[in-house]
Amino acid sequence: MWNPSKSVRLSSICTKIAIVLVICAAFAMPNLIPTYVNYTGKDPEIIHSLLLTVYACVLPGMLSLICLGRLLSNIRREEVFIEKNVKLLRVLSWCSFVVSAILFISGFYYILFVIIAVCAAFLGLILRVIKNVFEQAIVIKRENDFTI
Amino acid sequence: MIVVNLDVMMAKRKISAGELADKIGITPANLSILKNNKAKAIRFSTLEQVCKVLNCQPGDLLEYRKGEQEDE
Repeated sequence: MWNPSKSVRLSSICTKIAIVLVICAAFAMPNLIPTYVNYTGKDPEIIHSLLLTVYACVLPGMLSLICLGRLLSNIRREEVFIEKNVKLLRVLSWCSFVVSAILFISGFYYILFVIIAVCAAFLGLILRVIKNVFEQAIVIKRENDFTI
Repeated sequence: MIVVNLDVMMAKRKISAGELADKIGITPANLSILKNNKAKAIRFSTLEQVCKVLNCQPGDLLEYRKGEQEDE
């Protein structure tokens, strides 16, 4: 039977798979990007720019996945409304904004990136709202815990 | 701020924290929070039990002190 515990475990497994995929992709990018450029018939001069964009996004991307992993492990330990999770959500939202900024700049040579940049910025905004909700939830929980 | 004078009443009634917690039906940890003025609120049911066990009025336990900073 499906339950929240199994859902958290599945999310945790997916996060770990994503970390492995990002690492593999980072190593494979020097081969993948020229193949993509040749296949789509784009100007080969953008290969270096594409590589630069992808590698610039790897660091915030990995940091996001690590934060997600930690967030999920905290939830598995039933530590949901804690300051640590607020910090993790804050880092996650900033990572989204950084990726958004990188992709927005990259939009000058490859317009498709602008669309992803807007999506990343929107995701960062959603994460910021969730972070604010968590902050308030911690205050309410503290008050409940100290109501005798 | 509201000050809980539970320790004063406990001393007057000569009752230990463990015994009081047992009689009220709350954990010693929660009683300690209440006794040390760290509680944010008290349920009427808990207050009723404390008054019943200590044979006192809520006013004997709770005191309002003007101008004192609230603990965060």
